[in-house]
Amino acid sequence: MNLIPIVAVELQPIFAWIYRWLEGLGLQGTLLTVVVYAGLGVMVFGVLAVLALFLVWWERKIAGHMQQRFGPMRNGWHGWYQTMMDGLKLLQKEDVLVDTRDKVVFFWAPVICFVAAFLAYVVMPFGDGLIVADLNVGILYIMAVTTFTVISLLMAGWGSNNKYALLGGMRSAAQVVSYEVPMVASILTVILFTGSLSMVDIVESQSGLVFNWFVFRLPFGPVAFMIYITAATAEANRTPFDIPEAEQELVAGFNVEYSGMKFAMFFLAEFVNMFTVSAIAVTLFFGGWQGWEFIPSWIWFLGKTFMVVLLLMLFRWTYPRLRVDQLMEFAWKILIPIAFVNLIVAGWMKYAGWYW
Amino acid sequence: MAEPGIVFWILAVVTVASAVMVVTLKNIFHCALALILCLFSVAGIYILLNAEFLAAAQVLIYVGAVAILMIFAIMLTSNLASKAIRQSNEQVMVGTVVSVLFCGGMLALIYLTDKAIVSEETGVAFWRQVRGTLPADNVASLGGYLMTKFMLPFEVVSVLLLAAMIGAIVLARKEKA
Amino acid sequence: MDFTLPQYDPFRMLPEIFMLLWALWVFTYDLITKRQKEAAVGYMALIGPAVPLLFIVFYLTGLLPESWRYGGSGFGAMFFNDTTAMFFKIVFLGAAIMAIGSSFGITKQKIVNHRGEFYGLLLFSTLGMMFLASSNELLTLYIGLELTTIPLFVLAAFFKDDKLSVEAGVKYFVIGAFSSALLLYGMSFLYGLSGTTGLVQMKMNMAVVFLSYRDIGVILLGGIVLLVAGVGFKLALPPFHQWAPDVYEGSPTPIAAFLSVGSKAAGLVAFGKIFVNGLMAFFGPEQAPNDWGMLVGLLAILAMVIGNVVAIRQTNIKRMLAYSSIAQAGYIMIGMVVLNEHGMASVAYYIFAYMFANMGAFAAVAIFEDQTGSCQIEDYKGLAKTSPVFAVSLSLFLLSLVGIPPLAGFLAKYKVFAAAISMATVDPSASWLYWLVGVGVLTAVFSLFYYANVMRLMFFSNEEPRHKITYSVPALCVLLLGLAGIVVFGIYAEPILKLVRTIPADFGLYIP
Repeated sequence: MNLIPIVAVELQPIFAWIYRWLEGLGLQGTLLTVVVYAGLGVMVFGVLAVLALFLVWWERKIAGHMQQRFGPMRNGWHGWYQTMMDGLKLLQKEDVLVDTRDKVVFFWAPVICFVAAFLAYVVMPFGDGLIVADLNVGILYIMAVTTFTVISLLMAGWGSNNKYALLGGMRSAAQVVSYEVPMVASILTVILFTGSLSMVDIVESQSGLVFNWFVFRLPFGPVAFMIYITAATAEANRTPFDIPEAEQELVAGFNVEYSGMKFAMFFLAEFVNMFTVSAIAVTLFFGGWQGWEFIPSWIWFLGKTFMVVLLLMLFRWTYPRLRVDQLMEFAWKILIPIAFVNLIVAGWMKYAGWYW
Repeated sequence: MAEPGIVFWILAVVTVASAVMVVTLKNIFHCALALILCLFSVAGIYILLNAEFLAAAQVLIYVGAVAILMIFAIMLTSNLASKAIRQSNEQVMVGTVVSVLFCGGMLALIYLTDKAIVSEETGVAFWRQVRGTLPADNVASLGGYLMTKFMLPFEVVSVLLLAAMIGAIVLARKEKA
Repeated sequence: MDFTLPQYDPFRMLPEIFMLLWALWVFTYDLITKRQKEAAVGYMALIGPAVPLLFIVFYLTGLLPESWRYGGSGFGAMFFNDTTAMFFKIVFLGAAIMAIGSSFGITKQKIVNHRGEFYGLLLFSTLGMMFLASSNELLTLYIGLELTTIPLFVLAAFFKDDKLSVEAGVKYFVIGAFSSALLLYGMSFLYGLSGTTGLVQMKMNMAVVFLSYRDIGVILLGGIVLLVAGVGFKLALPPFHQWAPDVYEGSPTPIAAFLSVGSKAAGLVAFGKIFVNGLMAFFGPEQAPNDWGMLVGLLAILAMVIGNVVAIRQTNIKRMLAYSSIAQAGYIMIGMVVLNEHGMASVAYYIFAYMFANMGAFAAVAIFEDQTGSCQIEDYKGLAKTSPVFAVSLSLFLLSLVGIPPLAGFLAKYKVFAAAISMATVDPSASWLYWLVGVGVLTAVFSLFYYANVMRLMFFSNEEPRHKITYSVPALCVLLLGLAGIVVFGIYAEPILKLVRTIPADFGLYIP
């Protein structure tokens, strides 16, 4: 049962070679599909794990330099393997468990959070043909699977049996449900012009000159991007929208009772989520992997994504945190009306043909 | 239609098992989580049926919105938290009998339709006959139909949602004294 | 794939569009007057159904110029104005007008903060019924039905501090959601069999499927059972009726009235459209794989017996009227299973007469409740002495519900029974209809017992009356409207009968 077309395998010679090699081993049919997908899964997972380690280090360096200090410096050149050492430390730590926890929920929350963070990469076009599966519901699929992150936060909040954790979980639910509306509305603005939900189609509809990038479609492109990046910051639970884990009010919010490897899973998932929303932003608004052809497409993609990640990091170390009521008011009273007006303007301009 | 593969059976077992858990577990939060699992595996069955859009919409709406709001409501309701709740009342026997009868009826229906309703010419059972082909991009054709042939119901749904929203606000609003 | 917009003509949806805009205006009006003008909002809301009602009546009487071509297709196969649609829209709009007219009392006393929402949601519900009446297709039909019921969930629970009202709302909501699920499940069977949602197309496709498979009885039967259960819940047909008394008792009285007439008529239209129009090809002596008529007939007998018997024991007049309306649904279903040129016509006339009588009875109950706060039948003792007009009009409404000549209810019952007999005498396989008529006549006589009990208390009780009724203008108008309806259309019914005679043709039933 071939559920999903394998674009990557068909397009990249190296994948084709591996594919032939696997067939030479005698694998066939469903088993071959399963092995290929397992291999692809491990590969994406490995790349992202390394990326997340790098992002943690990068964030700390940026934070340091913005506050006129150096950040981690001890382990290696400018502390480049600091995160790995932190990871090792977390692995060795004792897994402190609260007696009053809800055992099943407490255990599964970090697992779901971790898995949900990686699910979106099934349809992420890393480069020309570098995609695990080009689903025809691509972006909608991403929107769907990212909701599991919220559920995991709610589970963590509930399972910890701790008022701070519960508050953190509830805040995250309220926040994500609210900010999903303007986010979807701004994504819809893009969909309106591509006429397809597939991530590959979205990237390819922005081919050619740099002015074909959606963010330069005046006047609604930049507005949609700004709405998206605001909502995405909230979706990734990052400052100024990080009220679910606001240290000063809630200690650490939903993950206050977690320690050791379980905490590390939440922590890594958060950085993967940040990378996800940035990658989506690049795919939707910055032409995805497209650029001058003498640089490989995946470098373009990663480079652009790191720029958006940098933007999110600058946000974090620039803005103060919002209060809960301000946050909700901002979503419902400002962002959503703007997003809908923007969508209507874009639809009207598409109808009238006033765009290039 | 091919015979259902192993994926289908896994999804089916998970769906049914989690649905049973929804109505039997004592902790209402666990029930909500089981409901999420149930809805999610139903989305998996939609994917097996080549209805990707429906699957994504199912996850987005039911898991992403409905279930989260349910959990939210559970958390906001005091005296509901981590308390064992009896899920059955004195009518549990009647309910069980009715549901078992309904389930048996539906199973019999499926079985009989497969065995008894067979075309005389081709010998193919009614449910297994392939009628028409799947459009290449079924998301696009779904959108196309919603905007043309089914536009009127599509627009009336917006009135329906408006009515539901106003109603919800009226009921949930705290009255000034 | 054919992505072209069907032929559409917004002109044919003019009443619906007006209702929608007017409902929105009622919400806005209540807001901009800062919820101060209690009566004005009510009068404002009355315009909502009144204008479309006049529009349709003018069209039917030929008072509109020819160029205002209201009848016909409004949006491909999705929206169609035939006589059925217009006639039932008249019933819905009439019920809405009478419900709004009798709710001035509660909006003055109890609903302080949300008058605009109360009336606006009522208008939305009526709008859903109108879409339902015009639908020619399962999808529009289902959405129309949902638009009908969802505002009614809210309206049933509108007294938020009253436990009974909240219970009514929750009960109605759960039952409504459950029955919608059954209905959708059944519809999915029909769709799977026919591959279309259009009712007329469905009939043809199913005939084709039937010819190539000879027997599709099992799956069609499954669909029919689910659909009967789904619509049965909406119509409160036993054994799906338990919710009705509790919901009627708890809801605001005008809403209970609207539920018992408007919502019931909407369920009947849905039933007629799905079964009589969509599935009729499978009824008749030569094919007859699925005799849904027998099934519905059985439910009708249950309804008449259970409704009338249980009504006797009720002490609360709203519960009594709830059981009475369950029984009335049974009588209506007799007409529904008669698949000849009289059946649907008698149903249409019955629901028309029932609208005046039942809305009037509930309006009287609402007036009484507004002034005394009581719904107990005992409290009606001796009312004839202090408020003769009230007592006489309530009695007339109840007598019309029993079916006493010369009131409209008599003609309605006569029409239904006559239709059943006309079918049974012609078609030997339909002789079971005699049983229906027999049970109908017996239970009608039996029902006189509990209706007369109320009259006995009002007229022949020796106790001193506890209350004296005074009338507000709108409530009095509703009473008089109801009285006029049951008296005038009972004596001079020819215009209505002429109109309803063309209704069976809309359901594909021939006219000789």
